[in-house]
Parts: sequence; structure tokens; C-alpha cells
Amino acid sequence: MPGSEGAGEELFPESCFALALRGSWTLAWGLESHPEILRGPNTKMEVFQTLQRLHMTIFSQSVSPCGKFLAAGNNYGQIAVFSLSAALSSEAKEESKKPVVTFQAHDGPVYSMVSTDRHLLSAGDGEVKAWLWAEILKKGCKELWRRQPPYRTSLEVPEINALLLVPKENSLILAGGDCQLHAMDLETGAFTRALRGHTDYIHCLALRERSPEVLSGGEDGAVRLWDLRTAKEVQTIEVYKHEECSRPHNGRWIGCLATDSDWMVCGGGPALTLWHLRSSTPTTIFPMRAPQKHVTFYQDLILSAGQGRCVNQWQLSGELKAQVPGSSPGLLSLSLNQQPAAPECKVLTAAGNSCRVDVFTNLGYRAFSLSF
Amino acid sequence: MVRRRQSICRRLWSFGDVASLVCCRDSVRTICPQNICSLRAHMEGKYYSEEAEVDLRDPGRDYELYKYTCQELQRLMAEIQDLKSRGGKDVAVEIEDRRIQSCVHFMTLKKLNRLAHIRLKKGRDQTHEAKQKVDAYHLQLQNLLYEVMHLQKEITKCLEFKSKHEEIDLVSLEEFYKEAPPDISKAEVTMGDPHQQTLARLDWELEQRKRLAEKYRECLSNKEKILKEIEVKKEYLSSLQPRLNSIMQASLPVQEYLFMPFDQAHKQYETARHLPPPLYVLFVQATAYGQACDKTLSVAIEGSVDEAKALFKPPEDSQDDESDSDAEEEQTTKRRRPTLGVQLDDKRKEMLKRHPLSVMLDLKCKDDSVLHLTFYYLMNLNIMTVKAKVTTATELITPISAGDLLSPDSVLSCLYPGDHGKKTPNPANQYQFDKVGILTLRDYVLDLGHPYLWVQKLGGLHFPKEQPQHTVIADHSLSASHMETTMKLLKTRVQSRLALHKQFASLEHGIVPVTSDCQYLFPAKVVSRLVKWVTIAHEDYMELHFTKDIVEAGLAGDTNLYYMALVERGTAKLQAAVVLNPGYSSIPPIFQLCLNWKGEKTNSNDDNIRAMESEVNVCYKELCGPRPSHQLLTNQLQRLCVLLDVYLETESHDDSVEGPKEFPQEKMCLRLFRGPSRMKPFKYNHPQGFFSHR
Repeated sequence: MPGSEGAGEELFPESCFALALRGSWTLAWGLESHPEILRGPNTKMEVFQTLQRLHMTIFSQSVSPCGKFLAAGNNYGQIAVFSLSAALSSEAKEESKKPVVTFQAHDGPVYSMVSTDRHLLSAGDGEVKAWLWAEILKKGCKELWRRQPPYRTSLEVPEINALLLVPKENSLILAGGDCQLHAMDLETGAFTRALRGHTDYIHCLALRERSPEVLSGGEDGAVRLWDLRTAKEVQTIEVYKHEECSRPHNGRWIGCLATDSDWMVCGGGPALTLWHLRSSTPTTIFPMRAPQKHVTFYQDLILSAGQGRCVNQWQLSGELKAQVPGSSPGLLSLSLNQQPAAPECKVLTAAGNSCRVDVFTNLGYRAFSLSF
Repeated sequence: MVRRRQSICRRLWSFGDVASLVCCRDSVRTICPQNICSLRAHMEGKYYSEEAEVDLRDPGRDYELYKYTCQELQRLMAEIQDLKSRGGKDVAVEIEDRRIQSCVHFMTLKKLNRLAHIRLKKGRDQTHEAKQKVDAYHLQLQNLLYEVMHLQKEITKCLEFKSKHEEIDLVSLEEFYKEAPPDISKAEVTMGDPHQQTLARLDWELEQRKRLAEKYRECLSNKEKILKEIEVKKEYLSSLQPRLNSIMQASLPVQEYLFMPFDQAHKQYETARHLPPPLYVLFVQATAYGQACDKTLSVAIEGSVDEAKALFKPPEDSQDDESDSDAEEEQTTKRRRPTLGVQLDDKRKEMLKRHPLSVMLDLKCKDDSVLHLTFYYLMNLNIMTVKAKVTTATELITPISAGDLLSPDSVLSCLYPGDHGKKTPNPANQYQFDKVGILTLRDYVLDLGHPYLWVQKLGGLHFPKEQPQHTVIADHSLSASHMETTMKLLKTRVQSRLALHKQFASLEHGIVPVTSDCQYLFPAKVVSRLVKWVTIAHEDYMELHFTKDIVEAGLAGDTNLYYMALVERGTAKLQAAVVLNPGYSSIPPIFQLCLNWKGEKTNSNDDNIRAMESEVNVCYKELCGPRPSHQLLTNQLQRLCVLLDVYLETESHDDSVEGPKEFPQEKMCLRLFRGPSRMKPFKYNHPQGFFSHR
């Protein structure tokens, strides 16, 4: 469709969000403000903004290296930075739950974000961009660099669903729509390797800390283990083929992954399952009907979230320890702020199908929500 | 008095005579011989007077004499007693002797007694005399004191005397010396003497006043002269009017011949003079706008001019009357309870009364449909209302669901954002309503017309938020600034309503009327069909379980229109609850979806349903079509059909279920799923005809 790119840009002009953030609505057609008019969204702009907020999805989160700020990326390509320390302080007001700064980072959705000790890396449609945390906090939101993995030519630009930092190699692994894992050297910015094997697009990545091995899970229903040194696939677990965890009506896709030494937990279309990697056997199947979109190990617990309002807490034995309801109808990402620099900001944040990021100060209940 | 005194003296003399005789005879030896000598001498000179004797004698000595005599008498008595008690013959002589002696003593006592009386009398006389003298002095003193007081009073009176000249406001001292001629001011005399100075200033004042009086008389005569001139000119002008009239009369056939309706316009202007100020402003501005910018706008005045003339009064008066009569009526209602309801009704009618004249605006749109607007002025509320009517060139078959689209009640709703026209824009009205028991104007708008804010602005009425009614003035500039935008909005509104009207007629028959210029937005083959399009009540919409988000976001106000669409394909049924904002098509209709296929799917449990909603609600700008984008609703519905096709066809096949897929994939898609939320390829790419992800 000719001009669709331009139309897309016009749909989400940065200025209209800046307006919304300041909370001062200018009324269309120059009509003078009347008390009646200020109730509810009335003007074209207000209605549009309200609808946009209603249909917002927050795909990714990342905590700043100082641990005091949280960046969240949504489906409109915007990144909002919230101040956790301000929102958690005793004199927090409504405004402190609003973003400190919001900027248009990508044209498409921001699917994944990670933070290095200086940079915020964000990825969306085809590209990964780097932003300096120091610059962002000074509200000068200019990208530092952008890189595109070498794609085979295609009608559409493949998206990047997952970013993974490998600190030992000082490299970044990108995975997504083109079914490959691309390793990028953060020093030079060059793409060093491409790991091929998946037959459909990749949803998630996880790093095994001890050996330089990376796990990836994708739409094809397989979890693949890669050795970074040899750039070879080491092991493949086709989860949907195991009867105890397959759920054909939900599909095969693996939406989330997490590892802890020899243990791996993954979920998605098939049930959330804890695997022993060396023996490639499922040890625990967690009784959760809804597909899970994010999972993580936390101390001796497993936290998972997905379809439905709740953050689920599991014992390793498969017992559901708690379900803590959040404010979004579905969750896509969890983020544990464990930065040693800011122990007072140690919180769990969850975001998904709404414009709100729920903040859990302890695992028991939702304290409040940050909002775009 | 003198005679009396003489008589007393005579008597005294005789008495004294005897006494002195006794004295002379008996006690020459014993009692002070000098006294008697002097007495004698005195007697020798004139007549014997005891009064004179009193002056000569010493009272102290008389007292001694009295004491002595008494002692003698006592002694003699005692001796006689003694003698008598002893008895004897010789005693008698002795007693006789003693008796004689006693007699002499008695005589002396008598004399002393007389003297004492005389002395007493004399003392009294003296006292009396002295007293009289004192009285006389006292009288004199009082007279003098009175005189002093009187004089003092006179003095103060004099001091307090006020002269008339003090009230006269004189020119100041410096000015006086500066301006007054020296023969009046006489500086060398008056400088030192305030009295003379005042006199001189008064003289100057008099002089000045005389001059001013002279001037006044001159001016009066001048005025007289000018008045006369005016009179003459007026006469001339009044004689001019009939002459002009006759010229006008003569020119009528020419005007008609040349199609120049000057006269008709003139008549309308004549009528316009009787319009109330806001309607007049509207009339003038609308006429001006019509002539200058928009030939499709025609303006007319309706109603009876005579009634308007009869009613004409300055607005403040009528308001005062109103409140007065209110007060009276309140009193009477208190007295007569049974008629209370009727009276309140009358009062309400009176309050909601509109001006007999109204202004008609006819706005012709491109397709020959006409929007008739009638503007009224509610005199007692000081607001304007409007009634709207739409007539179309060709007769329309009214679909059931389009009932509200062109109704006079809703066709102009929210022309400007939030302007529902249900509440009075004049803050002062609420107090008036309280008086007669009107809760809100809402119940009367159908009858009176809607008091939209833009109507007030067209009439130049501006209602500041916190100030009372009296600051409300009809203002031409306010009206002029809103005329153009409002007229354009009105036209757009009518056109969009008519367009919706047409669309609804098709939608009710299950046809989505996609126009040829919007065809490129959709693939050629769309399998899903619209099967139902009905209007639903606001309350019903609020109760639907899948519309909670919209209600919470405040997008479901009661001025919107609500519809329910049902799109079907095979066993899949997609319900869509639609909010149609009166501001269509600049504000898009909002869709909330609920899919019944393999369980109930809404935006809360299916990300792709959510994505479909955002495709029609947020990305509606792609669906607007050519301006003025009246086809938006149709395009959104068609898009929804396409989206449902994509949703169903790309649903992953469950391998465990036997048999073929219900919905074979016919659409060309690059990828089925993308991104963490596994979005389906909803975006249609026009010339190539494939679907991709947004």
C-alpha cells in the first residue's frame, strides 16, 4: 500500500504523547474550555489518545544499571522510563508513577530490551538500537547506534524477539523472526556468528551461566541448546512430543525459558515444565491451563506469568504457592530488580496487555502500578 | 410712730419719776450717789426719761445691784424670820424697820426690771434695723449679679454671630492677589488686616459673579438661536421622507425588472429591528456570512412583528416585573393552596417563554438536502435555542436502526466536543429554575429547542463562568468569529448523518456497502458476512461483559448512539458492540469484540481479538477513505469481516482433532505468527494482495 509508512508515522506522532504526558489537553477547534467539556474524552485528540492507551501492550522491561529506573517498551515503539526510587519513596505522588521521560525508539513494537552497565539496548522490527542511560535520564533521547543482523532478503523485515547479553564474551545474542541466533560483538558492533537450526521463529533465549551455552525456544516447539564456542547445536528438546506436557489445542510454541545450572523451565503452548537438562527428561509439570509468556527462577521458587491477570509462584515440586493478581488482563514480561546498587528498589515488575506496569514490593501483593 | 413713742416716754417718765423719787428718798446713802446725781442732772436738763437712763447705766453694774438687792432682801427676810421666831415686844419695831428697808429694795428691783425690759426692746429694735440694712444690700448685690450675667450672654451672642460670607467659597488667597485688580485687592491695606482682606475678597467675588452671570445670559441666547436652526432643519428633513418614499415607489418596477430584491431585503431589515439583540446579531452575521462566503445559506425571519412590537420593553424592566410578580404570586400561593400547581405551571411557561420572532437558517448541502435551523430566544432565561430539521432531495427509506440519526433531538448533538445541548449555558438560569421548580432544562429541550453553546456564540452571547447574568451582552465579534467554523461543521454534520443513514439502510440488510474508491482497502474475497445490525440502548451496552474497558475509559457517554453488529462465518460468530460518537466521522466509531468459536474469546483472554479491536479502533485512519471520510463505518465493518477471515484461517490446526480444518487458509500470508504475543497477519497490502504483520 503506497504511503502506508508515512501514515503509520502520522498515527503516533511523538508530540501527541508529549501532550498526554503533561496532562494538558488542548481542545480541538479552538473552543474555549467549559467545565462540562472537560469531563471524559470528548475531542478527537482525547478520544484517540484514550483508545491508544486502551490498546497499548508493554512487551519489554529493563532496569537501569543504577537500579533506580525502569524502562518499558510498548507496541507503538515508545520507551518510557519510570523512576522506581521516586515511585517507591514515602512521599510518592500520582505524578511519580508516570514516566520521567518517554521517547519514540522504534517504528514498530519494542519487543525486547536489555541493559549493559552503560547502555540500554532495545530491539524491535529488525533492528537493535543502543541508548546511553546517562543521556536518557537527561532526557536527550538520541540513539547511540543501530545495527541490523544480516538477514536473507525477505518480503518483510524479521522482528527481534529476544536479546541476551553474554558478559564473558562481551557479546549480545539476538533472536527472532529469521529463525537464527545472531551473536554480535559489543566491542566492534560486528555480527560474528549465526546459529541456524530452528524451523520457525524464536521466542526466547536463556544463558547457562557456567558453560557458555545458550538455550533458545521457538514457535517450532523445540528448545535448542547451543555451544557458543563451537557455534553448534548441542542438544534439542522437542517439548510438544512429550505426551505429559503437550497441549495440541494451544499449539507447539515455546514462549518462555529459564535455566538454573542443570535445570530448565519452559512453557508456552505446551504446559509449563521443569526439565533436567542432562537427562532431557521432564521432572515437574506445573498445572497451569493458560499459556505462559514469561518464566524465571527466583530463589527456590519459579515465577511465571502469561494469559490471565496473575503472577504465579511455584514450588519446584509443582505446587502452586501463590497467585498474585495484577492489573493487566494478560502479562508478557516480568522483571526482578536485583541491582546491588539500589537495594531499596528491589521489586518485581510485571507488564503486559495494558499501559500499566505493576510493581510488587514483595511477592505477596501488587503495591501499585506505573502507567504510560 | 412718733406719737406712740412719745406716749411711751410719757408713761416711762411718770414711772421713772416715782422710782427716782423712791430712790431719792430711801437710799441716797446706800446706792451710788454719783448715778443719782447724774440722773438728777439729766432730769434737770430735760424731762426724766428712763430710756435715756438706760443708755447711761452699765448693765453689768445693774446686775451687781440686782444681786446685792436680792441678798439684802434675803438677809432682811431672814432677820424678820429670826425676830419673829424669838418673839418679844421690841421686835415689832425692828420688824417694821426691816419691812421698810425691804420695801425700798423691792422698789429697786422693780426699777431694775423696767430697765431690763427697756434694754430688751432697744436691742430688738437695733437688731431689726441692722437686718433691714442687710436685706437692702443683698437685693442690690443680686441686681448687680444679674446684670453681669446678662452682659456676659450678650457678649457670647456677639462672639457667635455668623456672617453669610463665610459660606461663600472664595478664591484662594494667592489667586486673589494674583488676579484681582489692585483697586479691589489694595494689597498695602489688606495684607495686614484680615478684616479688610476678607472684605476685599468678597468684593472680588461679587465682581466675578457679575461677569459670569453676564456670560450665562449670552450662552442662553446662543442656545436659543441654535435650537431655532435645528427646528428649521428638522422640518426640512421631514419633508424629505415622503419625497424619497415616492421615489422608492416609482423605482419598484425597475427593481423587479432587474431582479434586484433591494426592497425585500429592506423589509427584512425593517423586521430585524424588532429582533431581540442575540437574534439580531445572529441575523446580521448570518446574512453577512451568507453574502460574503456561502451562497447556499439563506436567512429569514419568522413570527409576528406586531407581537414583538407589543412586547418591546427594555429588558431590565421586564425582568424586574418578573421578579416582582413572582414575589406577589408567592404570597398568593401561600394563601390559596389548591391552585399552587396551576400557578407554578403558569410561572414555568412564563419563564420559558420565547420571543415571538425567530430566525430561520436554511443550509443547502451539495446533494440538495437542506438543514433547516430555527433559532429562538428565550427572553426570561436570556439564552438561545435551536431546532433542526433535515430535508432531503429524494425521499429516504428510513432503516430502523437509523431512527436517531436525523432526529431533531440528536442530529446536532456534540457539534463541538462535549456540547450536548441539554443544560442551560447561562449559569444564572439555575436560580431562576429553583424558583419555579424546574430541575433541569433537559425535560423541555424537545419543546424549546436545544441551547447548544455554539448557538449562544452565534448569537454573540458569552457566558463567563463565574459572573452573573448582567454581564451578558450580545457581541458581534464573538458571533462573527464562530460563524464560519460552525456553518462548516453544520454542513459536515448533515452530510455525515445522511451518509450514515444510507449506510445503515444497507447494513440492516446484511450488505456492507463498500464504495468503489475504498475497494483497495480490502481483498477481493471476503467470506465473513455481516448478518445483523441493530441499535441497542445505552444501558444494554453498559451491561455487556466485553465493553468494560470502554465504559471505564469514559468513552461510553449517554449522548452516543449504540449498535450491535454480528459477523458470521461458518460456526464462528463475532459480536461487535459499536459506540457511535455524535462527532462521527472525525471521531471514529469504537468497536468491542466478542468471538464465539471454540469458547468465548474477548480482548481479555485473546491477544488477537485485542489486536483486531486496535486494528479498527486505533488504525481507523487507514480506513477513512476519500475525504470527508463518511464511509468510515462501512469500511470498519468490512475490515472486521476481513480480520475475522484472517483470524479463523490462520488459527493453528489442532492435530489431535480428526478431519479437515473448518476454515482452510485462503489468504496469502507471509508468516502466521509474529512476536511474543503471537500476532496474526492482520495487515492487508493492497496491490500485492497478501497479508502481513503490522
